[in-house]
Amino acid sequence: MENKPVQPETNQESTGKKLGKSSVSLFKRLFSRDKTELSALEEEAIQTPGMTILKNFFRHKLGILGLVVFIGIVALCVVGTQIWPIDLSYSETIMRNIRPGRNYLDYPSKLEEEGVEQLSSGVSFSVALSKAGNVYVWGTEPSYIMEDYSTPVLQIPQEVRDADIQHIAAGDRHVIALDSQNNLYGWGVNNFGQVETTKLLRTKLAQKNVAQLYANEMYSGVLFEDGEMYNWGSTMVNRVDIIPEEYQGRIKKVSDSGLNVALLLEDGTVGAVGVRGNPFSQIPEKLTDGSVNIVDIAASYRAVAALDDQGELHIWGDVQYDVLDIPEYEGNIVGMEGSKNNLTLLLDTGEVVYWGADHYGQLDMPRAITGNKAVDVYSDFFQNYAVMEDGSIVAWGNDGFLFGSDEMGRDIATRVIHGGRISLQVGAIAVVVSTVLALLVGMTSGFLGGFMDHLLMRFADIVQSIPFLPLAITLSAVAMGHLPESLRVNLIMMIIGFLGWTGLARLVRAQILLEREKDFVLAARALGVKQRNIVLRHILPNVFNLVIVNVTLSYAIMILQESALSFLGFGVKAPNPSWGNMLTGAQTSSVIRHFWWRWIIPGSFVVLAALSINLVGDALREAMDPRANVK
Amino acid sequence: MLFRYFIKRVISLIPVVLIITIMLFTIMKLMPGDPVRMMLNPALKAEQYETAYDAMFRKLGLDKSYPEQYVRWMGNIFQGELGWSSLHNKPVEDAVAEPMRNTIILNVFVIIIQLAITLPLGIQSAVKRGSFLDSFIQFFSIATYSMPSFFIALSLIFIFAINLGWLPVGSMPLTNKLTGFAFIGAWAKYMALPVTCLVLIGMASTIRYVRNAMLEALSNDYIRTARAKGLSEKVVIYSHAFRNALIPISTIVIWNIFRLFSGSAITETVFAWNGIGHVLVKALNNRDFALVTTMNLFFAVLGVTANLVADISYGLIDPRIKLE
Repeated sequence: MENKPVQPETNQESTGKKLGKSSVSLFKRLFSRDKTELSALEEEAIQTPGMTILKNFFRHKLGILGLVVFIGIVALCVVGTQIWPIDLSYSETIMRNIRPGRNYLDYPSKLEEEGVEQLSSGVSFSVALSKAGNVYVWGTEPSYIMEDYSTPVLQIPQEVRDADIQHIAAGDRHVIALDSQNNLYGWGVNNFGQVETTKLLRTKLAQKNVAQLYANEMYSGVLFEDGEMYNWGSTMVNRVDIIPEEYQGRIKKVSDSGLNVALLLEDGTVGAVGVRGNPFSQIPEKLTDGSVNIVDIAASYRAVAALDDQGELHIWGDVQYDVLDIPEYEGNIVGMEGSKNNLTLLLDTGEVVYWGADHYGQLDMPRAITGNKAVDVYSDFFQNYAVMEDGSIVAWGNDGFLFGSDEMGRDIATRVIHGGRISLQVGAIAVVVSTVLALLVGMTSGFLGGFMDHLLMRFADIVQSIPFLPLAITLSAVAMGHLPESLRVNLIMMIIGFLGWTGLARLVRAQILLEREKDFVLAARALGVKQRNIVLRHILPNVFNLVIVNVTLSYAIMILQESALSFLGFGVKAPNPSWGNMLTGAQTSSVIRHFWWRWIIPGSFVVLAALSINLVGDALREAMDPRANVK
Repeated sequence: MLFRYFIKRVISLIPVVLIITIMLFTIMKLMPGDPVRMMLNPALKAEQYETAYDAMFRKLGLDKSYPEQYVRWMGNIFQGELGWSSLHNKPVEDAVAEPMRNTIILNVFVIIIQLAITLPLGIQSAVKRGSFLDSFIQFFSIATYSMPSFFIALSLIFIFAINLGWLPVGSMPLTNKLTGFAFIGAWAKYMALPVTCLVLIGMASTIRYVRNAMLEALSNDYIRTARAKGLSEKVVIYSHAFRNALIPISTIVIWNIFRLFSGSAITETVFAWNGIGHVLVKALNNRDFALVTTMNLFFAVLGVTANLVADISYGLIDPRIKLE
């Protein structure tokens, strides 16, 4: 006791000296942990146990690293879910399994210099023919399982580079090009022969010239100058290869979509081939009976817009994504384009009008410098490009997936963030549940002893004796039959928490039994301290450390358990994402091999989260270990 | 003395096992789905179906009260009738026999390899505390401890089966026509990855356990005495310290031996190994609850027994421990 007033003085003195010396030693005093400056006695006198633990903790570099990483992950998952909302019902299977990349819209600057002649986009790439006759491809390689039937779409074949290309078109994952000698080239995915020139096509190409080249979901097509159309590739489902005789020879313009092809005929009427009976093929009567004269058409997957010679726009199709709701515009239409779920108009005022779905920023065209008018517009799938008066290109729409896309075409980055929030939350609540249970059982057992102790410990035996996963999936399966979908996540938390309390309960009980017999408790009792205060102030603080370390370590375990349950399909279920269920689809060797991002990325997040928590827990344990302070 | 303790413990286990059976019976009764419908031929005509349904309903004793059903169920289990697996369409004991064999084969190798690796590593890590080896083992064990088992399994498949092409991706070896070395080779090829995966999963905790046990033993005074006497370090570590660390280590070994029978749901599922864990997941996906309940009961009894054996082994290993 007598020492106390003296010590701060000596301390201050030394500080003063150091300060006087140089700023380097101030820095050193602030950040270095050079313990030689303090004697063991001084340290003992001025530190509370909490401070000692904190100081010890900050001595562990790995522990700090873990803490920083963990806080980063939590921040990403909490803030990220607010910034990037998720539409659980949305999926776009055509965008499935695309590797990570955010360069879909990064057109080469040389293309801008040379000027755009033709431009066409696939799901994750675009191809363009410049006014100088050069072919450019940019974006991300879409992936495919059948390697034998594909060539990389981003690698333009040498023969194409050498040829004098006149027409170019991109399908979903393939490109076709035609040169001035009517030779057809194709590269990319070729699972239905969509990049090959069939014999029939070759004879036709030898006889007549091509007016338009187009390609879409796994098929390609040619419109000849004499008004004949020929489609090939995957035509089993959409049947775009069946073209009624009445259309052949009369086709003026073609606008393609995945399931249908819209046709503008020479007499100003409209036709459609492809899937029958869908809204797309139900053309309004006045467009087919010749009462209006159509001059231009544009088709998206679901809806078609047709412009008549009076400047009026006719639209029909599916109401999904509001693609039938034409916004108000002022001016005359000079160009029309249709992409997957959007329609785009180019006006004579240089303005671009677009509407439809907005999942990838298709409705966020960067407003170019005022006074700069658009002279051309191209849109396909989810990418849009406008060529401006001064030759510059403005691109908007889907610029890619940071972590790739999954089997439903959903953005893995968004799902990792939202799944992370669910996984972290399930783990956190499960830890709270298990810790509360463990404290209740452990303390009751430790303080009451006797029959109650025996009963509770046998109960712990029972819970502990059944392996976790079989029991957890059984309970989960039972509850799933009785509870609505919305309660499932809460239920998983309860199950994991309820099966995880036994270890800590035993530790708490043992610690209480140990502390109860110690001399300071006896002393407190001798001093007449109330029983309640002995428990609260003398015994419980000694159990506290144990609980803190255990909570940290079991948080990691419970995150892993949730991911395991969800992985097997008994935890959080799709479409709700969780770090575990994102890997459920990645169990076949072809997915593991070709679509590595679908399992490595969510898997790495689980590992990172669990590892960082374990590092913190480990550092905490060592910091709280009284033996760690022995000099 | 030991015998009396044993009897006492076995008697104290009876209520525990009873509670487990009641719990599992309740869970079984809560399971969604109709057990009668699963056992009937769905092709039956409506009237025939109804009579068959009623007959089966009564045959299964579902018209009785829950306590009566419980007693009946327990009686069947004691007579060796574990229930009817609707997924495999045969008695549960027949349905799980082969998967159980496969799981045991896998786990024998896992346990042998795991102990062969973890014991020396754990001892070395404790003896050379704070060395590079120790910190490396510490970090390695935290890292593997932080990996979900499915991630380890997928990574192993990715590296060894797909990229290097050394080993098959999964499933069971076809050994009908193989003999001798070819037979062993086929099994080894298919077992290599699941065994590696299970060893990696279990290694971290065992190493830490052995290390802590050894550290505890090495901190005793008799170690200092032994060293002071001039005994060689080998004798000090293996004869003095290790033998005293055996009690905690024996717990691990006993638990491992009992774990022979419990399959790993995830590893077996990912590697398509026809083991008990895989069968359990399939049974749950197909609502084959008789199989699930029986297996859970089996695991629970196994766990309780392992606890008992571990307790008794303390007395056998360390004569100072008096079992009461």
